[in-house]
Amino acid sequence: MLNPILAFSATRRMRSFRTLLIAGAYTLVMLAAAVLTMFVLFREEVPMSQLSSGVRCYSILMVLQFFLLVLIAPAMTSGAVAGERERQTLDLLLVTETRAFRLITGKVAESLAVLALLLVCGFPAVCLTLLSGAVTLTQLLIGELFLLAIAFAAVSLGVLASTLCRSTVASGVVAYLLLILVAVITTVPLFFAFTDEMAAVVYDPAALARMSTGKALSMVFPTLLANPFLGLLFLLHGQTGILSSLMEYRDTGRLLCGFMLLNRVGGETVALICTACMTALGALLMPLSALILRKKTGC
Amino acid sequence: MLKLCELSKSYGQVQALDALSLEIGEGQLHGFVGPNGAGKTTTMRILATLLKPTSGTAQVNGADVVRSPAEARKQIGWMPDFFGVYDSLKSWEYLDFYARCHRLGTKERKQMTDRLLALVHLEDKRDAYVDSLSRGMKQRLCLARALIHDPKLLLLDEPASGMDPRARADMKSILRTLREMGKTVLISSHILPELSEMCDSLTILDHGHLVFSGSVAELSDKMNGNAPLIIRLQEGCGGETVERAVACLKEMPFLQELLQEEPYCLKARLEGGEEETARMLRELIRQEIPVCDFHRAPMNLEKVFMEVTGDA
Repeated sequence: MLNPILAFSATRRMRSFRTLLIAGAYTLVMLAAAVLTMFVLFREEVPMSQLSSGVRCYSILMVLQFFLLVLIAPAMTSGAVAGERERQTLDLLLVTETRAFRLITGKVAESLAVLALLLVCGFPAVCLTLLSGAVTLTQLLIGELFLLAIAFAAVSLGVLASTLCRSTVASGVVAYLLLILVAVITTVPLFFAFTDEMAAVVYDPAALARMSTGKALSMVFPTLLANPFLGLLFLLHGQTGILSSLMEYRDTGRLLCGFMLLNRVGGETVALICTACMTALGALLMPLSALILRKKTGC
Repeated sequence: MLKLCELSKSYGQVQALDALSLEIGEGQLHGFVGPNGAGKTTTMRILATLLKPTSGTAQVNGADVVRSPAEARKQIGWMPDFFGVYDSLKSWEYLDFYARCHRLGTKERKQMTDRLLALVHLEDKRDAYVDSLSRGMKQRLCLARALIHDPKLLLLDEPASGMDPRARADMKSILRTLREMGKTVLISSHILPELSEMCDSLTILDHGHLVFSGSVAELSDKMNGNAPLIIRLQEGCGGETVERAVACLKEMPFLQELLQEEPYCLKARLEGGEEETARMLRELIRQEIPVCDFHRAPMNLEKVFMEVTGDA
């Protein structure tokens, strides 16, 4: 049987004017961004090939989608549990046979469905870049899959915040803070986890070329693979090579060591690992939220 | 159907419920009365498996609410003292949602939704949005929600609060129908007369303690025994006679309180029963005081409630 929380929250969500407004605004922003960037980049006076213009246009749209999703997800999920509490409907749900885990999964699935709808709304705009030949449809779909995984993790974080907080407003603030925390925690090793000795090996072109993908992967600090920003960066690099000029730098100390290693692993591979990490994070946060809800409500 | 044994609940230093023991048989309409803060809602929430008692046990049709909450939930329909409704949902969708939450099948859901909307007289509001319903209608819809999984025991927390007289009458008629359907109903309220009209039995709580449990008639009998005596003297018998009567009554060792409400009317409260009352009357007659009326003041349920909960 379909999760009742998913079914009815979706009904209510789709009936609200707010959802229509968000979906409409999202579509318009994406289309406007696509048309504007194409207009600027494909002008004759810009000395750029059609291919690199297409690459830039695709990158801009993907980055825009990424940030839109990360911004919308906490706002959308802040009321998932806190709203039920404020509306005094949480207790009514807890006295039914719907337990905490089912409630949480329903809330996550419902919010994720709306974000997936937004991705679908933005898809035609992204598809315009196919005209330039810069990316293939498969690459585009991999990109959308990556964004969906990010949305899943963001939604689960939002629902966790909503479970922790009493009010919707507080829950929204905590959700954004948690997102920042995840980004910071996974980024910090980029600056501190690599030694000068490692850098010496990594910056040696011959040694780096000899290094196997597995070896490079073992040297990468694990949290970097779970960093959504790095995931997006290497997805775009893997698909379009946007970081190629950066990868040619040498002797910049430890700073680019992680970048070099991730590049050796392969852009799309890094993005797919990040997709898996985000999915795992999202999946792990659901039972955690359910556990917290059970502790808080005693049900 | 419902058995509470030494049920206690404390919030830090505050004792919300103190060793409450109670048994309610199947098919009874039982009133749960007490002033605000008496422990009614706490008891209801424990029974609804939303709160864990500090000590004691509560069983619903044999299912312990702490040890087997899932089993207990199947037997209980809970209607709290707030609406808890969603906007953007139609009445039937609201009921269907909770039916799904109780894992009812498609056919069963449809049947129950239609049946309950008819029971609470909301068939014509089937497709109306919940937020467009009046207070009384919302209250009835919430009652239907509590009944959606066909529970044996209904816990109704202040079901008629804030309703106008017509809506209250509607609610009472629905509750009578539920009793006829064999449901056991526990209704809480802080208005004793309201419950006494429809309940088979009553429990009065005060500050977490059980003050009374029994039928409405038993409660009235018990309280009438403690009602003050009205002693009316012959009109115009003179101030001196009244003074003699007062002096005579004050000599009674079992006299608790004596008030002179009117020039020739005295109100005496005694400690004791019929024997003391008879002795008092004998003494007044022996002293040749012209008593023309001697009776107990009638106690209405409002007064009984105030008396029992100590707020008179």
